[in-house]
Amino acid sequence: MVATMPDVLPLVDDFCTKLNRRQVEGSLDTAKLALVLLRQVISAQRIPPNASAGVLIDAIKTVGVRMIAANPIELAVGNIVRRVLHIIREEDASLATTVVSGVTVAVDSDDEDNLDIREQASSHAVAAANRNVLRAPSLHNLLESNPSPVKADVTVASTGDSTDTKSRSGDKNSRSWKLKHNVIESINIMLNELQEYHLQVAEQALEHIHQNEVILTLGRSRTLLHFLLGAKKKRSFQVVVAEGSPRYQGHKLAKELTAEKLSTTLITDSAVFAMISRVNMVIVGAHAVMANGGVLAPVGLHMVALAAKRHAVPFVVLTGLHKLCPLYPHNPFTLLNDMKSPSEVLDFGELSDCLNGTTGGAESHVFNPTFDYIPPELVSLFITDTGGHNPSYVYRLVAEFYSPEDIVL
Amino acid sequence: MPAMMRRSQFSLFDPSLDNLSFRADSDDGGMAGNTTPTESSAFYDGRTGCNSNLLSGPVTYEWLSQADEARLNSSAEGFHTLHHKPVLSREAMNGDKPSSRFSVINEFNFWRQKPELAEAVAAIKALTAVIRRSEATTMMGLEIELKKAAETLKMWDSTSISLSAGCDLFMRYVTRTSALEYEDISAGKSRLIERGEKFGEISLKARQTIANLGQEFVYDGSVILTHGYSRVALALLKLAASQGKRFKVLCTEGRPDNTGLEMAKELMNAKIPVTLILDAAVANMMGQVDMVLLGAEGVVESGGVINYIGTFQTALVARSMSKPVYVAAESYKFARLFPLDQMDMSPTPRVVDLAVPEQEGRIKIHTSGRDYTPPQYLTLLFTDLGILTPSAVSDELIQLYL
Repeated sequence: MVATMPDVLPLVDDFCTKLNRRQVEGSLDTAKLALVLLRQVISAQRIPPNASAGVLIDAIKTVGVRMIAANPIELAVGNIVRRVLHIIREEDASLATTVVSGVTVAVDSDDEDNLDIREQASSHAVAAANRNVLRAPSLHNLLESNPSPVKADVTVASTGDSTDTKSRSGDKNSRSWKLKHNVIESINIMLNELQEYHLQVAEQALEHIHQNEVILTLGRSRTLLHFLLGAKKKRSFQVVVAEGSPRYQGHKLAKELTAEKLSTTLITDSAVFAMISRVNMVIVGAHAVMANGGVLAPVGLHMVALAAKRHAVPFVVLTGLHKLCPLYPHNPFTLLNDMKSPSEVLDFGELSDCLNGTTGGAESHVFNPTFDYIPPELVSLFITDTGGHNPSYVYRLVAEFYSPEDIVL
Repeated sequence: MPAMMRRSQFSLFDPSLDNLSFRADSDDGGMAGNTTPTESSAFYDGRTGCNSNLLSGPVTYEWLSQADEARLNSSAEGFHTLHHKPVLSREAMNGDKPSSRFSVINEFNFWRQKPELAEAVAAIKALTAVIRRSEATTMMGLEIELKKAAETLKMWDSTSISLSAGCDLFMRYVTRTSALEYEDISAGKSRLIERGEKFGEISLKARQTIANLGQEFVYDGSVILTHGYSRVALALLKLAASQGKRFKVLCTEGRPDNTGLEMAKELMNAKIPVTLILDAAVANMMGQVDMVLLGAEGVVESGGVINYIGTFQTALVARSMSKPVYVAAESYKFARLFPLDQMDMSPTPRVVDLAVPEQEGRIKIHTSGRDYTPPQYLTLLFTDLGILTPSAVSDELIQLYL
């Protein structure tokens, strides 16, 4: 266990407190803050020169576990932590292969008779490192052991003399520096992608929204707003917005759309089924996408998805990759939901009327869940910043951006 | 004993074997044709379960089923002696290494006796034993020997999918390893042996991994329906119970093998509340069920599973009532098969024991022992490679054979 560098500790504490008190909300904001914090943790972390990425991984895991515990409902935090871990492992693997080939070059000057064998052995080590280090357990390597890249370069360099060992340690020093440098660069790229993912999604709008179509949505999603505005440039269409009680974010979206001169109709949530037959497409945003293709979306959207399925209307979900969670929803209706204050539904004044006069207990209960779980069969398409995907394709995205060792932190 | 009778029933009544015994008298090169069964048409192999190149013309399914019925009418003792006959005659005729041929099957049966070991693992251990006994001097020679041994195993029980999948997996590993260069044959052999031994441990760990992954899906107060006897599903449920989760299990009877009874007994020993239900009562009870948990004999390329008869039915009912269907299967059960319908697999007839024995001879009984559940009825697969959606299975298979 590596202790977190003291200068970063107060920052971590601060962020965890914010998460705990729900002072930072929304997957995008949380993801950005988490990423920035992890970048600071990495740059502050001192890596001993002869260690591999394990030190960094442990540091990130320690911080990550704390952040996730602060707000387990906000899945974006866990996603970012796991993505950073995956980046560290990837960078470590690519550095390992370059180091191995680098040491082979140094050994070259030795015995020329054994050159071929050593080259072959090292190329095997390189190939093995390439193949095995990052591969998830698969049928392919079920019967193989995994040679670690550190072991590989040790065996190759063991025939070298003392001057080689010195250059090796010098190599390692720059190696850990390079690792940090590469990881921080990748994190910066990821931050940029985060800032701009809604633009990437909006670029695809013209392919999906056609002339004179009617789009239905519920509540408000920032990505959806940009998506519709992206399509508005070249198409004219109408939008039907369901208000999305109890927060009534739909009102806000309707106002924003009208300000942009898009013809908008506002309806209540209960009118969705009545309107669905007149609609060409349902487009919504999401809170999180689970590994089986299921969606955590604002409450009310499961109902809309069922109505859409019933009338064969495509149900399109806009999402960014930071919302992609590698976990499976074990018991989706209870475990991943956030219960907000019942006063949003029923005023506290009226609520007190529901309380039993004699015992003070509640005769009737008011539930205010924030999220709905939409099973993957009801979703037609995911539009992410990398393009459009089927729900059954989500497992590939998960495999690309996350390492299986990091699923359980 | 019933297990013995079930094995290779079609090879028993393979008319080619009569040809073989005939040819034993004339020692000519006709043997050569018999020792290369791989040249036969794969389509007929799959559908009829025997090697068509040894026959004068293609054998139809009806012919074989009639032949099977005729055989079912003969006595049980007759089975036992007939069962050993083909092995002896084949082995007697093949001049090259009869002992290794015979011992592969023996080894396999020896490992098979151990109740905890799956068929695929027993097969790989038997193949490892072949490597140990091999006197080949090159990796290619070793490979050829192993191929022959694998073919023998597959022919021994042509209906078991996990057996052939395990053999294929090991053969694939061997061909990959021999491509890498080793200084001498003994290093290569020892590496293969070591990995073969390791595989036995891996497979035991596989069940643990699957149990760990899958028990997350069991929650307090849930009602789980299982079908047939699956050691993996059992391990999962036992682990969930040991974690203190309170749940109930409904076990189908699993006729005609009554495997559900064994499952129920095991669950009772683990202090899990279990109720035995008729196979026909699945739809009746499905309303109370929260999830269906199944094992698998084989997982096919489409992401569907081949399992004990009645699985498809259960999945169909569960799907229509929107209940999730989870399959627990180890990764070495992934097979390169793609059945298009229920008839597209090698048939495994079971002995169906009706309550009215005197009618048995006259009434036609459909004795198929397993069915194919298409992927759209499955929700998730728990494997030691992780939790997979059915669409991810073909990806895994492609990665293996790239």
